[in-house]
Amino acid sequence: MVQSESIVSAYAPPFKIVSKYFIAAMVSFVVLNFLLLLNSSSIHGHHFQPKILSINHIATLGWITMIIFGAMFQLVPVVLETKLFSEILAEIQFWIYLLGVIGLAYCFWVFETGIIMTLSAIILNLAMFIFSFNIALTMKSVKKWNLTAGYLAAAIFYLIVTAIVGLLLAINLWTPYIKVSHLQYLNLHAHIAFIGWVSMVIMGVSYKLIPMFTLSHGYSLTYAKLAFWMINIGLFGIATTMLFEETTFLYYTFTLLVVLGIIFFLLQIYIIFKKRIRKKFYIGIKFSSVAYLMLGLTTALGTFIAFVNYESIFNLTLVYGYMIIFGYISMLIVGQMYKIVPFLVWYHKYSGKVGLAPVPVLKDMFNEKFAHVEFYLMFSAVLGSLYSLAFRSDIGLLISFSLMFISSIIFIFNMIAIFRK
Amino acid sequence: MANKQEIFEVLKGVIDPEIGINIVDLGLVYEVESKADINIITMTLTTPGCPMHSSISTWVENVIGHFEPEKKVVVNLVWEPQWTPAKMTREAREQLGM
Repeated sequence: MVQSESIVSAYAPPFKIVSKYFIAAMVSFVVLNFLLLLNSSSIHGHHFQPKILSINHIATLGWITMIIFGAMFQLVPVVLETKLFSEILAEIQFWIYLLGVIGLAYCFWVFETGIIMTLSAIILNLAMFIFSFNIALTMKSVKKWNLTAGYLAAAIFYLIVTAIVGLLLAINLWTPYIKVSHLQYLNLHAHIAFIGWVSMVIMGVSYKLIPMFTLSHGYSLTYAKLAFWMINIGLFGIATTMLFEETTFLYYTFTLLVVLGIIFFLLQIYIIFKKRIRKKFYIGIKFSSVAYLMLGLTTALGTFIAFVNYESIFNLTLVYGYMIIFGYISMLIVGQMYKIVPFLVWYHKYSGKVGLAPVPVLKDMFNEKFAHVEFYLMFSAVLGSLYSLAFRSDIGLLISFSLMFISSIIFIFNMIAIFRK
Repeated sequence: MANKQEIFEVLKGVIDPEIGINIVDLGLVYEVESKADINIITMTLTTPGCPMHSSISTWVENVIGHFEPEKKVVVNLVWEPQWTPAKMTREAREQLGM
């Protein structure tokens, strides 16, 4: 009909590819919760243990990163008003990546620290390079560069750094060569992953999506811009000073810069929330609010850990890790999924009928009551697990992991219902 | 030939699926020009880079094209003046609990 129709098809996200990533991620979420439940008695002590490392990588790679890949294939073209560089690469990447995740999770589980683990890490690197290449070339054609794009570009850089450091660690487990301690490198790998990769994506996307969902208007993005530089300079500083001796003062300075950056991000989100027009907290926003709160608590705990000998306090790193993966990131992902998945399915099925026939609105796409049940189960599970890890309650951990597993089943059930709507 | 008011009424059929309110009450439609062979709709969106970006303009084309099939439809998406909540009608505000 008219000119802008071509724009529609040009930006249209490839539904089939996005949903493939989402489905694989959700299955990983259920699997990892099932494994936690079955092995709740082994989840204590030092974080460097086969089962914990395995479950952790199912969480970070199979669940978190998998879902970010899918979401970015969906969001980057739309937010930046350009077309995904290659859908075929996104498809190829999926299968390579899946193989790598399964390989690495298996190797950690049986602690097979040889050629297969290294090969899995190489495969994962390959998949991440393909992803970065695809997104970088998509960004190359951007007409309007904005803050979100800046955050996403930085995130991709850290994804690659995480992947390479991960590979070096895998090789080191096979044939030790790293002069600085393995655990110190692991520390860097984990923090670059959580702050540089995952959080930079979360932050960049939050600045875009939260105002859209809450209809916020009339605020400045000063804190968001400051946060960007603080976190980048801080992470860069930490990674660099680690290579030299006698840099304790600099290390702490850069650490505090990152902490301040995260605080500024939270401040920015608070400002956006305060300026919101939609007063009612819909389910997605409810999950997200708890997640942001958890990010604040995690940051406080992380700062504490940076300044003490963390190995002297039992389960401290497990509490920290659980808080990051479940309290902060998983709560946020689940909340955003209640926004993104109904939208994608709705768009796919009803977009062509708008104005011509009655179509449902997004909140009719799923039963919000079930989602609320999931919210309370998941929130209780997070609090229960943290309490049980901190105060060594085996029965408490078993109950909490059961609750989390049930909540993940409800989540997948709700998502399937939306897909079938 | 349809007058402006009728076109505004037709545009009320386009509902923002996220908010559940139509684009006219949201104050997104800035101007309607109904000429002999063309309908020109000048409108905005609540946020630039909104995932609905391209969809909403297609929906507008679809409903107007369906309403007056003999005419061309052009949707002008503008960012100036920027949308503010003040542009919403009272009904829309009430629906949002403002």
